[in-house]
Formats: sequence, structure tokens, C-alpha cells
Amino acid sequence: MRGRRALLPWVLLTPALGVIGLLLLFPLGRIVWLSFREYRLRDLVSGESDFVGLANYATLLTDPYLWRVALLNTVLFAAVAVLTTIVVGTLAALLLAALRPAARVFVVSCVMVAWAMPAVSGTYVWIWIFDVDNGVVAQALTSLGLLDPSGYNWFADRLAFYAIVTLNVVHGGFPFVAVTVLAGLLTVPRELHEAARIDGAGAWKRFWHVTFPVLRPVFAVVTVLSTIWDFKVFAQIYLMPGGDVGGSRMLNLGVWSYVRSFGHNDYGLGAAIAVLLTLLLLVITVFYLRALFREDGLR
Amino acid sequence: MGRRRTHEYVPLPAAAALVLAAAACGTAGGTGGDASGGDRLLVWIMQGTNPDETGFFEAANTAFTDETGIEVEVEFVPWQDAQNKLSTAIAGGTMPDVAELGNTFTPGFADAGVLRDLSGHGVDTDRYIPGLMEMGQLEDGVYGVPWYASIRSVVYRSDLFEEHGLEVPGDWDELRETALALSEAEEDMIALPVPGDAQYSVMPWIWGGGGEIAEQGSDGVWTSGVDSEQAREGIGFFTGLALEDGTSTTGAVNWNEIDVMEAVAEEKAAMAILGSANPKAIWEANPDLEGRIDAFTLPGPDGGYMPSFAGGSLLSVFEGTGNEEAAWRYVQHLTGEEFAMRWAEETGFFPGEADRVDVFSAEADPILEPFAVQLKEASRGVPATPAWTQVEAEKVLVGMQQSILNREATVEEATTRAAGEIERILNGG
Repeated sequence: MRGRRALLPWVLLTPALGVIGLLLLFPLGRIVWLSFREYRLRDLVSGESDFVGLANYATLLTDPYLWRVALLNTVLFAAVAVLTTIVVGTLAALLLAALRPAARVFVVSCVMVAWAMPAVSGTYVWIWIFDVDNGVVAQALTSLGLLDPSGYNWFADRLAFYAIVTLNVVHGGFPFVAVTVLAGLLTVPRELHEAARIDGAGAWKRFWHVTFPVLRPVFAVVTVLSTIWDFKVFAQIYLMPGGDVGGSRMLNLGVWSYVRSFGHNDYGLGAAIAVLLTLLLLVITVFYLRALFREDGLR
Repeated sequence: MGRRRTHEYVPLPAAAALVLAAAACGTAGGTGGDASGGDRLLVWIMQGTNPDETGFFEAANTAFTDETGIEVEVEFVPWQDAQNKLSTAIAGGTMPDVAELGNTFTPGFADAGVLRDLSGHGVDTDRYIPGLMEMGQLEDGVYGVPWYASIRSVVYRSDLFEEHGLEVPGDWDELRETALALSEAEEDMIALPVPGDAQYSVMPWIWGGGGEIAEQGSDGVWTSGVDSEQAREGIGFFTGLALEDGTSTTGAVNWNEIDVMEAVAEEKAAMAILGSANPKAIWEANPDLEGRIDAFTLPGPDGGYMPSFAGGSLLSVFEGTGNEEAAWRYVQHLTGEEFAMRWAEETGFFPGEADRVDVFSAEADPILEPFAVQLKEASRGVPATPAWTQVEAEKVLVGMQQSILNREATVEEATTRAAGEIERILNGG
């Protein structure tokens, strides 16, 4: 009896695991394999390549570009973007929870438009908004006298560049957080809030001491997912002016991996960067989930 | 709370599955292409700054099918994506049978072994424009047939020149004065955009000052002259137009050639370094400009002409598609008398055969005359080595130009860095 019950979940999972294996594990294995080989355009054509051991990783880890630019951009950007996405998403969810059903449907629809917008179109809209000569932002700032009429190229300024990327990514990512947190909010027993209110708790205290503890697993999931997404943003950076120039200070690990592979035609090194990014994500995710749930377990 | 029990620990596989599931969003599944081996010939044609080409290909393909019974499918590929698309197609085995390849990346693909050596088919290499043909040759092999040449000169607003009594400049100083006069007279316009993302607009200034992009010594080692005094003078002059004279605009740092062309088409720029196919495309976009734009050959520092980059395309046959013979016939079809000339007439590019350039120029729109002069008397190519493709893919010259225009680096710093990068890449680093 016990044996059958233990087996059943695996049987049910088989189709899904099969698909994951085919579409994910095979390419992933291939990337790992590639990262140990000297693989250039010529090898791509002939299909033959040489095993070079850890040479690609040695090149990668001793490249100052990794430490000063790519890794720094990736980690700092992800930290800021995840935090902002979660905060904005939660605020949107709290607003939604407070609305009447009709108004809620309307606002949710508006929010979902941002979620449905493809990253590529969204990025082009942001580039257009921040166009250096004729963009809405440049014109508004100029007419307010805050910007010199000759303009300012924010795409060349690392901080401004990533501020625009953050706006873009948060705009695309907060609806998911908002809707997920909203679903959680609706399950928080009303009595808990009422009790807290009677005890004299303000809005912040009610959120922090009542809502947040109940929703901890929800926050854990949206945080982990946002972290993964924000570590591997690609189109939102690659399509920006200066985001595709090899050696520019704007690349993150994902774009760097692409530029290395397809720009330099050095697929081995590109794969090594991709593996590094995956390992980084794996470590962060495990750490995150353990920390969050261990706290939950001790309480 | 009862729910605590289920969340005591997070197993590693679950975390791994999360990472994988989320990462899956960025992974494209493999495509099993069937582009090769069929009766249909798949042809990739580049798209970007040239005028609309669909009508030409309808006619050319119908004629080809009538003659040979072979159906042709043309796919248009934007220039910016061309290299990546070709690489992925090679990896996935979905290469086209024939592709138009920009002359600067033909050596790279030829060297990688994807292109068919056409030397056995009797290509008469002496008939074509030498600079263009050279890029299709690697040792004894011929990996592409020159289809058309494109050259960059200056397109300007003749109506504004007339209105303000300006003359076509004959040297750099005059060019600068003309640009200054235009920015003063036309306050809302950009006198001469200095683009950051257009490497072929930068090359003339390197050569014009007397510098070389890179030269191979007798020992086989490449040396870049981008950081030479002469090259710095040219680059300094060009970027100085933007930084000191204000004849450009801050946003132009992010512009590529298409953006520059659009600025002229939208009547925002008064002069611009553009290719010979651009006037037609500008008129297509804005018919009002017909008769109001003209062109002049890039002036040298003290008169004469300054060399410009002779670009252009070759048609290459891919190896291993099973359609090589039919593909070769199609290449001959497009580079043959009828369609090569018709292509030139419809686009404003010059035919790839040297003799046809004169025939074509004699009858072509007068606006092409300065471009013809540029092509014949002052044109240059990039270093003919397979590794050059990487210099372009890494956008070395773009990075140099942008860092100067953004005032992040001086001309000295930026050129020193670019020369180092070029030498590293060309010498196989």
C-alpha cells in the first residue's frame, strides 16, 4: 500500500518530467558540454571540436570584465529590480484588495496589459519615451528648465541606463506580483484584521504583523521567480542603445554570453558564461528558499 | 499553525526545477528545418537602408522559374541581424541555398567552410570591381560573386544650400564652415549628424587624415593605425563637429545609418554621410524632397577627395544544402546583365562588374554622379582577413566613436583602445 502511494506521484509527474527533460535538460546538458570545448564558427560548420578542460572557465574568471562590469551589473540590477517589483506589486495588490469588485476588475485589466506586453515592444516604447532628442521625458525636462536644450545621453550613463531598464522590467514584472499577492490577500481571515484594529494597530502594523506572516510563502515564490527573471533579462538590455556593443559597460551576464557566442563566435566561452549564470541562480534560489522557510518553521 | 509542517525544508530538486522552469522562458526549442534539399531554392536577401525590393524579386524569380522550372523563395533579413541569423542557421542546419553577404563578412564565413568554392565554375574575377572581388577570395578559392557596390558620400539639401547661398565644400575647413553656417541659418535642423553607431561613416576620417585601419606586416602581424597621428586628426575633426561646433545633436550618438537616413527623410538633417541607395529610399519615404536633395563626394582635408568605404554585397552559395547547382544558376541569374542592371537602376547601388559601372552611371540619375566619382577615385575596403568580421561584430569602431561623443574618452584614449582591440582580434587573440 505504502509503496503504491509513493509511486503514484511519480507516475503522474512522468509526462511533465519527460517534457522538461527533452526541452530543458538536453539543451542544458549541451551547454555544459559546450563550455568545456573550444567551439568557434569553424567548429559549428564541421561539427567537430576539441575538449579544452576548464580553459573557458579560466578565461572567464580571470577576465576583469566579469568582475567589474557583467557580474556587478547583473547582481546590483537584479537586487534593485526585485525589491522594487515586490514593493510596487504588493502596493498594487493592497489597492486592488481595497477596491469594490467592479473597480477591481477594471484595474486588474489595466495592470494585465502591462503584463501582456511583449518585452521587445515594451523596450522600444521605453526607448522612445527616453529618446535623447525628441523623447517625452527629454522634452518635459527641457521645458521645465531642468535639462540643457542640447540634451543628455542617458543611454551612455550606466546608472541612467539601468534606471531605464529597471523601469521597464518593473513595469513588466509587477502585475504578476500584484495578482499573486492579491490572491493571497483574499485568503487572509478578516477576523485577524478586525482583531488587530481593535487592538489599535495602524495600517503598517496590520500589514507587517498580520498580512505578511500569513503570506510569507506567497512572497517567497514571487521573490524567487522575480529574482530568476531579473537575473536573466536580455531583450530589455540588448535592444537599448549601447546594450549590444561588445566591451560597453552596460552588458549583464546574459547579454555578454550572447555577444561572446554570436559576436565573437566563441560559443565555448559563451556557454561557460551561461553555466556560471545558471549556477549563480541555483545557489541564490536554494539559499533564498531555505532562509525563508527555515524562519517560517522556527516560529 | 498546521500549515507549518509542509514547509519545513526545501529540497534541492524543487529549487532546481524552479530555476529551470523560469529559465525555460528564455530557451528556444530546436527547429527542424527543411530548407534544404527541396525543389524550392531558399534565398536570403539583406534589408535595411535600400529601397523596397519586393517588386524586383517578383520579376527576377518569375524569370528564373520560367527558365529553369525551379521555384525560389526570398526571405528578407535585416542587416543588423544577418550575422547572428546566419550563425544560428548554420548550427541548426537551416541555411539558405543562396545568401547575399555583406563584403565585410564574406571572408569570415568563407574561412569557416560554409560557403561553396565557386572557382571551378569559371568566375572571371577580373571583371568585377577589385575591392569587392577581393573580399570574396580566400587563397585560391572564390566564395562569392560581387552583386552590387555601395559607397558613401554626402547627401545634402540643395534647396537650403541655394537659399543660404552656400557652395559645395571642397575641403575639411569649408565643410566645417558650411555646417556652421547651416546650423546658424536653420536653427531647428541638424547641420551634419555625427552618428555613433555607424562605423562606415567613421572610416573615411581615418583614411582622410592619412591613417590606416590595419596593415599586415611582412611577418604576418597586423598593426592598426587607428591610433596614429593622422587617424586621430581625422577622427578628432569629425567628432569635433559634434562636440565643439555643435553641428550634430546629442541623440546622434545612438544613431545608425538608418537613423541618419530617416533624419534626412524627415527634413531634420541638412547634410549627412549616406550611401548611394539612400536618396531613392528617402524619396520613397518623403516624395516632397524630390529635386531638393543632391550629393557631393567626400572632400579631402586640403582639397581633392577623401576615401570612403566601398561596401556592397556578394552572392554566395552555401555548401552542403544539396541544391548547390541550382543555387549557382540563381547567382548567375541575379549577377547577369539583365537583372544586375535592373537592380542597380531600381536601388541606386552600383553594379558589381567594373564595366557596367560606367554604363550605369551614364544613364543613372544625376544624383549618383558624385557617388560614381567616389567609387572610382576614392574608395577603400576593410582589411581582407576572416577575423575582420569579429571586429565588426564586437563593434570596436562604434565603441570608439561613442565613447568620444559621450565625452567618456578623449580621441587619444579611445583610438589607443580601439587600435589595441583591432590588433588583438586580427592577430588571433
